[in-house]
Amino acid sequence: MSATSPDETGDAIHLDGIVKRFDGALALNRASLRVRRGTVHGLVGQNGAGKSTLIKLLAGLHQPDEGRIEIDGQAYDKLTPHRVEELGIHFIHQDRLLVPTFTVGEALFLGREPRIAGTPFLDRRLMQRRASEILDDYFGVKLPSSALISELSTAEKQIVQITRALLDQPKVLVFDEPTAALVRREADILFRLIRRLRDEGVTVIYISHYLNEIEELCDTVTVLRNGEDVATLPFGETSAAAIARLMVARDIADLYPKRSVTPGKDILTLDRLSAHGKYQDISLTLRRGEVLGLTGLLGSGAKELIRTLFGLESATSGQITIDGKPARSVNPAQAVDRHLALVPEDRRGNGVALDLSVTENITLSSLKRFTRLGFLDFTSERREADDLIRRLEIKTSGRNALVRTLSGGNQQKVAIAKWLSRHSEIYLLDEPTVGVDIGSKVEIYNLIGDLAARGAGIIVLSSDLQELIGITDRILVLFRGSIIREFASSQTSLDDVLAASTGSIEVLRHVG
Amino acid sequence: MTLQTSAIEPSVPRAIIGVVVDNALVLALVTVFAIFSFATPTFLTIANLQSILVNNFTLLAIAAIAMTFAVSVGGIDLSVGTAIDFASFAFVSLVLAGQPVVVAALAGLGAGAAVGAFNAVLISGIGISPFLATLGTLFIGRSIQQLLTNGGNPVYLPPSGVPEAFRFLGRGAIGGIPVPLIIAAIIIVAATVILTRARFGRVALAIGIQPSVVRYSGIAARAHVAVAFILAGLIAAVAGLILSATVTVYIPSSGSAFLLNAIGATFIGTTLSRLGRPNIPGTVLGVLLLGIVANGLLLTGLNFYWQQVGTGLLIFAVLALSFITRRKA
Repeated sequence: MSATSPDETGDAIHLDGIVKRFDGALALNRASLRVRRGTVHGLVGQNGAGKSTLIKLLAGLHQPDEGRIEIDGQAYDKLTPHRVEELGIHFIHQDRLLVPTFTVGEALFLGREPRIAGTPFLDRRLMQRRASEILDDYFGVKLPSSALISELSTAEKQIVQITRALLDQPKVLVFDEPTAALVRREADILFRLIRRLRDEGVTVIYISHYLNEIEELCDTVTVLRNGEDVATLPFGETSAAAIARLMVARDIADLYPKRSVTPGKDILTLDRLSAHGKYQDISLTLRRGEVLGLTGLLGSGAKELIRTLFGLESATSGQITIDGKPARSVNPAQAVDRHLALVPEDRRGNGVALDLSVTENITLSSLKRFTRLGFLDFTSERREADDLIRRLEIKTSGRNALVRTLSGGNQQKVAIAKWLSRHSEIYLLDEPTVGVDIGSKVEIYNLIGDLAARGAGIIVLSSDLQELIGITDRILVLFRGSIIREFASSQTSLDDVLAASTGSIEVLRHVG
Repeated sequence: MTLQTSAIEPSVPRAIIGVVVDNALVLALVTVFAIFSFATPTFLTIANLQSILVNNFTLLAIAAIAMTFAVSVGGIDLSVGTAIDFASFAFVSLVLAGQPVVVAALAGLGAGAAVGAFNAVLISGIGISPFLATLGTLFIGRSIQQLLTNGGNPVYLPPSGVPEAFRFLGRGAIGGIPVPLIIAAIIIVAATVILTRARFGRVALAIGIQPSVVRYSGIAARAHVAVAFILAGLIAAVAGLILSATVTVYIPSSGSAFLLNAIGATFIGTTLSRLGRPNIPGTVLGVLLLGIVANGLLLTGLNFYWQQVGTGLLIFAVLALSFITRRKA
């Protein structure tokens, strides 16, 4: 696919000693990044470490104050986005906008529509053919080129973005947090694609918060911290744990703080809860002060179970009991009145309103508490927001800042603060640390511990098994709609839980 | 990256731009006002300014506030004119039939609210998009009016049969201030308070910004949308009462004349507000802006038919202004 032959070695990209200031603040302090041709190169670092700035420099969106940028061994003084694209470097970004009302075909060829030779007319047949060749060959999917972008799932939008890049036969592809909005199965497809592109000679730069992805995918990894590259290591000589230490300058054991809380009374009980075709005969008990882990592959029914508890889906039979009272909710309003709280996986879509302020988000579900005769009591509302911003250490320029301006980790804290304000007692946390940097992750784990210590019951649904083992008391594994195993978190290992969640034969025998 | 943005010290040019962004609408208004004051001697006279408020402001302001409630929940109400017409029809017909003015007025308000309730059922109950639902209402409303009036005949009140209270509503004054203007002022204040200080207003704006989050927060979003559309119908009905009381006649489908300007004013106000949210002061300033441009162009001696060109250019100018300020801010 690339013009580079595989036996040719050398650097595809070499950023050397880059310094970049924004209004006096040092974003990059002599950072270097050296990416060898035909490799998958990981780039990791906490929010604020300088990853985005470095990538924007490479994209020609910013110019460095000091330092050299070499592409394919040649130095470039002033890069523009257009020039970068000409050099065969393409960027796949989670937030990169595709015009929602365009069709797939239009989005793919926007700005470089092939024309019928000698005429001003678009060659729609050629567009259609080239697009479907790539879609079929690389992804094994058929997206009708007449489908609207707005009708596509996040994963499909990403496929369109990648396909758009592939149509240009790129030399370097830069993926910026590509899996943040993908489910595991979709991520697997992406990983296969990236490996294949590497084998075809394309150089890949892969930026992610997920160290397990980096470990799984990358040949080499560069760790940024405070605007400097603290290490570049081949993966043979390092591990996810070692990289995490480099990123935060902190020990891995500290990554999963676990408070020991003596569980109190039962707060939530499910008795043979079933939803046709989704899950069946789910029975479990959650006690006050307990952190219960829930995991399972896509289709295990775990997600649907959580949605049922919050009144977003309905069960076909069985009982839900909260504090001793029957409590099947038909909508979220009812669930919230029963002191349930859901921190949804799609944080930016359903968890926080990006264009509302921090205060407005925090008090959204508890507005009744700040209302007198239908009117808002701004003083007590502000006090509540300030209090929670302080307690949860939400980093924001102020309570009136739009949530859009916060980092992923701080957005998630706002999503949780909303329920603290509502005095919720049963917390359903769906992938609570997706897209959150390591520093904020630890703070969220601490927060979960605090909630448990105050007597809340917590269910954490996560596909990050290390996280589940680290922060929960018990783990229930769902497989094809049933609970097939229960683990005590302190006495289990990653391998055991993984084996159970993938339904390996030994586990099934163990159950039988 | 959060690191860079939070570390920025606000520099002087940025502060100036901030002031411009925060007050873009007021600045636009002052500019237009200044231009016409210089361009024509008759613009800046008390009589003309009064005429702007009475002829170019009152009714449109009320209709635009109705529109703002629909826009606040992320919708639009193409049937504001229908609510105006239905209120007007009920009001005039009942007065003509000899009913007391108060009863007729309440019936008019009820008719407008009923149009809003019909929209609410379509939007919140059935789930039709506000644009299509209210467009349907607009067409149906037009037909109903033609059926009720034998194909569109106006309903006149004979000069002898106009009750004093009816005349007072349209032409009266208290302490020299026209009654319609007083009513408009009351609605402006009440609507501002509802949208900024009431819980309903907060939830409505949140729905307009990100409806799924409101739902996931355990709030009955659909009920709030329904209330917003009923409120829009009710407020538009007030404009209908004042309109018919001023001209002492009901003319079928005359309310639709306010539709485009109401949309224009609402979106001018929304576009030029700092957070880009629908807001009553913005809408009212938008109405003033449209009114001043229409009146000023007329006074400069331009042909009446140029007026809409002025409105169109004004909207482009507003868009350009918001684009420039937003990009720099």
